[in-house]
Amino acid sequence: MFAYTIRRIIATIPVMATVALFVFSLLYIAPGDPAAIIAGDQATPADVERIRASLGLDRPFLVRFGEWVWHIIHGDLGTSIFTNLPVWHMIQQRLEPTASLMVLTLAFSITLAIPMGVVAAWKHGTWIDRAIMVVAVMGFSVPVFVIGYVLAYTFALQLDWFPVQGYTPLSHGFGPWLSNMVLPSLALGAIYIALIARITRATMLEVLSQDYVRTARAKGLDQRAILYVHALKNAAVPIVTVIGIGFAALIGGAVVTESVFAIPGLGRLTVDAILRRDYPVIQGVVLLFSFSYVIVNLLVDLLYTLFDPRIRY
Amino acid sequence: MKRRDFLRSTAAVSGVVSGAGLAMPRLARAQGARVLRFVPQANLSSLDAVAGTQYVVRNAALIIWDTLYGIDSKFEAKPQMCEGHEVSADFKTWTFKLREGLTFHDGERVTTRDVIASLQRWMVRDTMGQKIKASLDALEALDDRSFRFRLNKPFSKMLFALGKSNAPVALIMPERIARTDPFKLISEYVGSGPMKFRTDEWVPGASAVFEKFAAYQPRAEKGDWLSGGKRMLFDRVEWKILPDAATAAGALQNGEVDWWETPVSDLVPMLKRNKALEVAISDPFGNIGSLRMNHLYPPFNDVRARRAVLMALSQADYMQAVVGDDPELWKPLPSFFTPGTPVYTEAGGDILKGKRDYEGAKKLLAEAGYQGEPIILLVATDISITKAQGDVTADLLKKIGMNVDYQALDWGTVGARRAKKDPPGKGGWHIFHTWHAGADCVNPAPYTALDAGGDAAWFGWPKSDAVQADIAAWYEAGDLAAEKAAIAKLDEDSFANVTYAPTGFFLQYQAWSKSLSGVVKAPFPVFWDVQKA
Amino acid sequence: MSTTTIPVRELTAADVTAAPVLPDVLPARRERGAVMMFIYRHPTIAAGGFLVALIIAMAIFAPWLGTVDPTALAPAKRTRPPSELYWFGTDMLGRDVYSRVLYGSRVSLIVGFSVAFFASAVGMAIGLISGFVRILDAIVMRIMDGLMSIPSILLAIALMALTRGSVGNVILAITVAEVPRVSRLVRGVVLSLREQPYVEAAVASGTRMPKIIWKHIVPNTLAPMMVQATFICASAMITEAILSFIGAGTPPTIPSWGNIMAEGRALWQVKPYIVFFPAIFLSVTVLAVNLLGDGLRDALDPRMAKRI
Repeated sequence: MFAYTIRRIIATIPVMATVALFVFSLLYIAPGDPAAIIAGDQATPADVERIRASLGLDRPFLVRFGEWVWHIIHGDLGTSIFTNLPVWHMIQQRLEPTASLMVLTLAFSITLAIPMGVVAAWKHGTWIDRAIMVVAVMGFSVPVFVIGYVLAYTFALQLDWFPVQGYTPLSHGFGPWLSNMVLPSLALGAIYIALIARITRATMLEVLSQDYVRTARAKGLDQRAILYVHALKNAAVPIVTVIGIGFAALIGGAVVTESVFAIPGLGRLTVDAILRRDYPVIQGVVLLFSFSYVIVNLLVDLLYTLFDPRIRY
Repeated sequence: MKRRDFLRSTAAVSGVVSGAGLAMPRLARAQGARVLRFVPQANLSSLDAVAGTQYVVRNAALIIWDTLYGIDSKFEAKPQMCEGHEVSADFKTWTFKLREGLTFHDGERVTTRDVIASLQRWMVRDTMGQKIKASLDALEALDDRSFRFRLNKPFSKMLFALGKSNAPVALIMPERIARTDPFKLISEYVGSGPMKFRTDEWVPGASAVFEKFAAYQPRAEKGDWLSGGKRMLFDRVEWKILPDAATAAGALQNGEVDWWETPVSDLVPMLKRNKALEVAISDPFGNIGSLRMNHLYPPFNDVRARRAVLMALSQADYMQAVVGDDPELWKPLPSFFTPGTPVYTEAGGDILKGKRDYEGAKKLLAEAGYQGEPIILLVATDISITKAQGDVTADLLKKIGMNVDYQALDWGTVGARRAKKDPPGKGGWHIFHTWHAGADCVNPAPYTALDAGGDAAWFGWPKSDAVQADIAAWYEAGDLAAEKAAIAKLDEDSFANVTYAPTGFFLQYQAWSKSLSGVVKAPFPVFWDVQKA
Repeated sequence: MSTTTIPVRELTAADVTAAPVLPDVLPARRERGAVMMFIYRHPTIAAGGFLVALIIAMAIFAPWLGTVDPTALAPAKRTRPPSELYWFGTDMLGRDVYSRVLYGSRVSLIVGFSVAFFASAVGMAIGLISGFVRILDAIVMRIMDGLMSIPSILLAIALMALTRGSVGNVILAITVAEVPRVSRLVRGVVLSLREQPYVEAAVASGTRMPKIIWKHIVPNTLAPMMVQATFICASAMITEAILSFIGAGTPPTIPSWGNIMAEGRALWQVKPYIVFFPAIFLSVTVLAVNLLGDGLRDALDPRMAKRI
């Protein structure tokens, strides 16, 4: 298992290299031009051309890619074309809000969704099952921004329980931090509550119909023990998979949530950077995403072996 | 050498000061520091208003950097960093003297070396600066506080050039920063304006913080736009970037921000009903919408095709799509110039008045040889003003029998595509949209979009010798009457050439909390003399 | 304008995916009361199937349901509240929201069903291969990791920048993001199944691989796949809306539920109906697809079937 972990970590290098090259070439072919944006609307075409040259954007693809890789090897993610700030600094500024949003979202989702899914499967076919599933399905049949607006309108503007927007760093206190994050995490979490509850229910149903569970039931074992010891443990594999998979999707949802609630996170940094073609920032963020994704999924795979010893590596 | 040593020692001092300052904010906050929370029109992605011309960047730069002269609300340039000037009778020699006590945010004194380096960088980028540079014999320092322009041609608009508000602005920076390539963005944000930029607190795309510069010495006169005493009554001005209009409205209603620069006009009735808020027109000079055609390729290389679009274009449609139902916010503009300004004229603008003539337009298009080839319409869908105009244009072209290829793109891509001179089928384009601040459309100097110099002109590359001659005539005009005559002729020739198609004149609101006082109408947010109850 | 009218023919993907409803309904004709029996036994399939069929019909027959040109502008009649004349009101450019919502169902259905179909097919193939062929497993899964670690939103914006906004690009961007998800799920099931005694027995007795896959593995992956496919279909419709929100979705010349909502969202406090109607339609459609999927899952599951 240890050797496996090492192998997987080494394997992240080609993954990240592929992603980097893929994104770099995609951006290179794309016609967007940061020089035109820097120059502003009133600049003349000749000015734009000069700015492009001074940014080094007129150089060939391989030269630019090679230079970037060279800097990465030396631990330098480069500087933003627009702000002249180091990319690593810009990412650091944004890391905490996004991490907070994701952690809270996952925490809310898991604590709400797994019991929902378990109960639904246990009471399969009854009105409880249906009611839970309808509630869960509501969660992902409405786009995150609509949920966000409704939450903000109800709980911030009308009831005044939480702020409409913004982010307070954890260092300013747990209370203020949480009060800023509750609405965004719930808005973003809705879809994961639905997803995790459904998968939990589906796999629980699967497990509950397995022979050994039916045997246990027939033997008159305590219902709760069956549920926890046999069923939930076996259902854990797909649930963990979904959480691992959800990580990348979380980033997509985070972009929208961060816009709606004006949270200074990585999602907005990414979209802003893409729209402005701030190449060093896009590259840095994508590297970070693929790195954390690989790590999260490594953890997920390791958890598989924990929950289901039949899976070996 | 001496200067460098001095620099080092002041750096050390300022290091100590800023070290002490680190502990300050929390203390200051506890004692109720005066903080203004402002929502700007767009994300502040850079800070160089010489290398770039984005409005939001200019607005931030005007707080950090000071100018030698500054325009007031009558568009007259008044001395700002300068004590005054002398000019020879032939307008060829301009001598300026700096005020005493000007210091940069790093503690360094402002000298003519900084001024000359800054002006040299600016002259490369600015249209008026280029005019000065073209006839410049020397720009020389007489001493630490006096400097002189020696020109070989008369230039009467020097003060306006140094004090104008449209970018590139003649901002005065320390020499070491001003040495930056004029086509590269500066990376150090040290000015001598009323507020310091807190680079350490800048989160691009989310927030920017300006802090009162204690050593700033405002002029004795009352502040008026960029002129007079810029008295900062806040310790901190915090810009919060809220790209989502619904969120910005909520934050303002909830008292989480104090001032929203550009509220969406459809939300204004709701904001007006809120008793804690004040809503008013922000910039009396407003904006002019623009539909820009490519003059290099068929069908719009033929003036008849361009005129056909103008004949059918309904400015009311465009303006309602852009600003909404409020009739106070827009008016038709049969002109290329900002209404309400001294030189305003409607000469040649009849083609935009009266009933729209679709049949006539179709006929004219046929005469121009249009045979249904696709018209490539670049639409930046991430900006509401350009998107609304693009949607109306698609409808308009359809009505006059044109075949539209609507290309939904982001602004970054439109910015790159519109610079391409390739044929429309091969990566080029036929039409894109933008808008110009009315404050920049008061005369030809800041008005690059009206230039018709062919290859060197703005995107679309219009070419008309008559237009160019009219612009030259304006530069030579000595008095208002002569300027007016030149502008009337310019307007007429620009319509004849259809340099671009104005889609109307529109205003925008700004909204702020009633606890603020001193908010004024201007083409840029004015933070001095504003205070919070 | 050629780009504004969506040919009805493009709905083939929708027809294909909706097809499974039919075999369930057909036998019901033979006996009296069989329909009632079916509804009684599979209420979720019946309800979901009925709603999905209704929405498909709405999409196909949009031109005859009292609609006007969904792209016709009338800025003078903008943001009108719902009335007899404009059932769902008009948007910021004076377009009829009712017509836009009806025509918009076409885009949402096409996007949802196409993504579900392509992502399931490709994902299943990749998942089976990597679950069974150990040598390929590591490589394929690393490539999937790489693809999956690029958020679909980034990919969609990049694709839009590369060419321009189009329905095809939206489908492609969402599919690319979904494929690794499906393949991971299938691989997970395969990994767990191949350790099962009956599979091991089959392998030991020399049964050929394709047969094992076809007889033992595929049927067992179908149930989770069905759940997954309905989820993908539903989530693709939502993602389409999110992409429109970011500005990288369906081009504005083609009405879709996503871009109607995205365009009206700034005004939702003052003109809620612009967002409300497409949101309701989207939610109901997603709900219907999910009900259908849930029902199918329960019905298709062999062990469940035995019990009934």
